Amino acid sequence: MARINNQIRRLRFDHGEMTQEELAHRAGCTRQTIIALEQGKYLPSIELAFKIARAFGVALEEVFQYEA
Amino acid sequence: MAPLQKRAWWGLGLGLAFAIAFVLVFILMGGIESFDSDQGFRIIVDVLWVGALAMNLVIFNLSLRRVTVDERDKMIMGRAPRIQWLAVVFTLAAWVIALNEVYQSTGLVPAVYLYVVFMSVLIVSTLAYSLGILIGYWRASRNG
Repeated sequence: MARINNQIRRLRFDHGEMTQEELAHRAGCTRQTIIALEQGKYLPSIELAFKIARAFGVALEEVFQYEA
Repeated sequence: MAPLQKRAWWGLGLGLAFAIAFVLVFILMGGIESFDSDQGFRIIVDVLWVGALAMNLVIFNLSLRRVTVDERDKMIMGRAPRIQWLAVVFTLAAWVIALNEVYQSTGLVPAVYLYVVFMSVLIVSTLAYSLGILIGYWRASRNG
């Protein structure tokens, strides 16, 4: 099965220890969705993935990596 | 806990309260026989099912407008009607079997049961929707 990894947790800490709540607010989702994403239990839509990348000010590929 | 999950717990709790009240009213006020003749009884029951419907509307429509409901919540909410559909089908099946067993010999089912079946299905449906959302969150937290 294809896997999509993410660097959300690391990026939060790299961005001044941004809280899950703050990231959720910036990306327009709930804190529970950020928790699920960090635990690899939820795959976001393309739109949410872009919003998260934009919240960090980085490219999409820096947040999400596809591993076949 | 996500805002939608919190509301589903409220929906389940209040839905159960309405269901218990519904059963208690029927037991305490003389059962289906007096339902036909007692207007006060009918008004209480009407208040209960309209109340359950209004509660559902407030919890899952009006109050959700003020909080964040994201794509994951919407996905879980979109899957809840599967549980709701199953619960409604099982409730209807239980009613059909019970009424058939009780009234088969006479060949006539009192028309008042149509009303009772409708109200019970409505309450079960609102309960099952909340339950479906909670099951959705539980499954999402286990398997993703």
